[in-house]
Amino acid sequence: MNKVSTSIFLVFILIVGWIVYLTNIKQDDSLTMRYYSVQELVNKQSDISNIKLGGNIKPNSIEISEDDQLEAYFYVYQNQDSVKVYYYGIRPDLFTDDAEVVVSGSFSNNLITAKELQTKCASRYEGDLKNVEKI
Amino acid sequence: MISQIGSIAISLAGGLIFSSFIFLCFYKIRNDKNYLDISERSIIATCFCIFLAFFCLLNELLISNFNLQYVAQYTSYETPTFYKVTALWAGQAGSLLFWSFITSLFTIIYIFKTLKVMENLKFNSYFILTFIFSFFIILSSFIANPFEPVSSDIVVQNGNGLNPLLQNFFMAIHPPILYVGFTGSTIIFVMAMAASISKNVSFDWVRSIRRWSLIVWTFLSAGIILGGYWAYNELGWGGYWAWDPVENSSLMPWLTLTAFIHSSMIQEKRGMLKKWNILLATSTYLLVVLGTFITRSGVISSVHSFTAENLGPLFFSFLSILILYTLFWFLRRKSYLETDDKIDSFTSREGGFLYNNLILILMCFTIMWGTLFPILSEAWDGEKIYVGQSYFNQLNVPIGLVLLFLMGIGPLLSWKSTSYKVLRKNFILPMSISFVAGLVYFIFSVDYNIYVLVAIMGVAFTLSSILGEYYKSLKKFRKRNSNIFISTYKMFMSNRHQNGGYLVHIGIVLLFVGFIGRAFESEKEFSLSPGEQIYFNNYIFKLNSIKSEARDNHYAFMSDIDVIDDKNELLTNLKPEKRIYFYWNSDPEKRQPHSELDIHSTIQKDVYSIFSAYDAEKNLGYFKIMINPLVNWVWIGGILMVIGSLFAFWPNRLRR
Repeated sequence: MNKVSTSIFLVFILIVGWIVYLTNIKQDDSLTMRYYSVQELVNKQSDISNIKLGGNIKPNSIEISEDDQLEAYFYVYQNQDSVKVYYYGIRPDLFTDDAEVVVSGSFSNNLITAKELQTKCASRYEGDLKNVEKI
Repeated sequence: MISQIGSIAISLAGGLIFSSFIFLCFYKIRNDKNYLDISERSIIATCFCIFLAFFCLLNELLISNFNLQYVAQYTSYETPTFYKVTALWAGQAGSLLFWSFITSLFTIIYIFKTLKVMENLKFNSYFILTFIFSFFIILSSFIANPFEPVSSDIVVQNGNGLNPLLQNFFMAIHPPILYVGFTGSTIIFVMAMAASISKNVSFDWVRSIRRWSLIVWTFLSAGIILGGYWAYNELGWGGYWAWDPVENSSLMPWLTLTAFIHSSMIQEKRGMLKKWNILLATSTYLLVVLGTFITRSGVISSVHSFTAENLGPLFFSFLSILILYTLFWFLRRKSYLETDDKIDSFTSREGGFLYNNLILILMCFTIMWGTLFPILSEAWDGEKIYVGQSYFNQLNVPIGLVLLFLMGIGPLLSWKSTSYKVLRKNFILPMSISFVAGLVYFIFSVDYNIYVLVAIMGVAFTLSSILGEYYKSLKKFRKRNSNIFISTYKMFMSNRHQNGGYLVHIGIVLLFVGFIGRAFESEKEFSLSPGEQIYFNNYIFKLNSIKSEARDNHYAFMSDIDVIDDKNELLTNLKPEKRIYFYWNSDPEKRQPHSELDIHSTIQKDVYSIFSAYDAEKNLGYFKIMINPLVNWVWIGGILMVIGSLFAFWPNRLRR
């Protein structure tokens, strides 16, 4: 084998190795997280250490601690089900009733302790018309 | 009235593009060139109809015609004129028309500039353009029509207005610049397909498509950097890149286009890699469409929220047809695209470009895999998996570092092959500088990090390699002219293409300098009452006061924080604000809080402050402070990339 062929062979091996590695990322907790639905959590008895969940904030469910404004409890709902979330930290500006949120953290005793809280970015902002009058 | 004209213009564009298709069929059947000319005119007329519709929508936004759903949703009487204009691309329907508008502009340039000299590409170009235009016109006519009136049973007294987060200069210009890049890739796709189908992959074609690629690449780069700049300065999470699917969608075509710009150089010099180049050029546009599918379908969870109408199935069908069409013709033209010439040695300039291509594609594939993994995994076993930032960082950092070194290695290699003697001569200085830089970091660093070490060595190696190349060229010019400024100017002008390319590479090296800074970031969240202070990261943050005032369109709580450095001197005064937009609204849900950041920015580091909440009863402010080293180098690098690319793109006067 000449040098060029050897190089191509080595590169080929590297690529195959890389692809095999990529197909197994699900096994690596540091790279991926299981996405749960609220329905799945409602019936869940066991604890989950690494969880990602999306849904909307249940209206009137946001409780902000009087002692520390960074401490908040709220419910995330999907259809009829909801789950309680605890978050300590600065909340995004778009964090409000019915806002779509994604939380990640751990689940124990029917409570998600969120390490991360994201609201959907406003870059595509659509909503019902506000200042309208019915004829 | 104007909105009706706009609506008619879109319908007319639909009719015209259909007639173009009919005439193309006639041309194919009867082989009469007149039919091709008529089809060309139909496409040009389609473009002008789209221009007309676009300007009609602009007019309606400017005069606040709230009888149109789109105008009422994105503007209000209070919206400043500048943001009324930018509302053109703030929503689905407008952004799709804007997309067609830019495609039309590029199509006109392509017809009158490129196809004028490459007549052989006309038929296939028109055929593909007709298909692409038809798709977007159908979307604008039936699915997301910007001229859709509001429901007949309501009267809109005032529109919703543009989200305050989007009322930022950089956010206003980031989407259109990115769109120019995205739509520009249409022409690259059309050109690549037309040339391979009609068997006209010529030297002139390579030169022409490379020029198109450079301009598209410039806009893509500028759009991506501006998006990061806006996120950093406006969104208040202290970062500029989050590996969100929507962000990844813009990075993937950028990577394939970067690869194409490099590999097409080998085709230009040695006529090789035709097949590979066609694949890269076409996949750039296919990735743009994939990105649009991801953005507008909602199949992948993203922090960027999506629109009401789901265009996913339509974009998926469009993408599938394009992929099948591309594959069909690629396989049919495989033997035509075959080249006899082979790479002689991998220690050659073309070998360097090949490695660079490989790394870029590997990076693109890794990002695509991570982005699509949630859908693939769900389809495979029903489990919905979230791929975190750690995946993208852990996997892309090593690939990026290899790329960083390759940028320095490339210029040191000769075409065809590089002898051992030349290799040793060229590499000795950059390698020594790189080694010394690494050693200095190793000795003085407190928290040693292997990635930072390699990155510092890479930056030193590549920077010294490129500057060394400049120096070598300059020496030649100095022999003829003793004035350093004149010889530097002449050196730069002598080979714009290469020198511009080197400037881009320096820009990317500076980006890496900014990325290194991320390893040293720190942050703290705390609460303070006026008069209190806190110590963090060798600085004292002292809250002087919190005041409030009602302004034109919001209510503001204004903090005043002194930052005192370790020499007990005042470094800066920060005034982050908490604003409440629509505060007059009796419904609390309609009020919108917004954190207006304040950043003390220097070339070494940024002190980034966020006023996140205010407890009026206790007169207590909640803040977040971040110390972000070297962030400015990202923007400097970005600017240099754009300047370098424009410099390389500009026609060479001497050659002309």
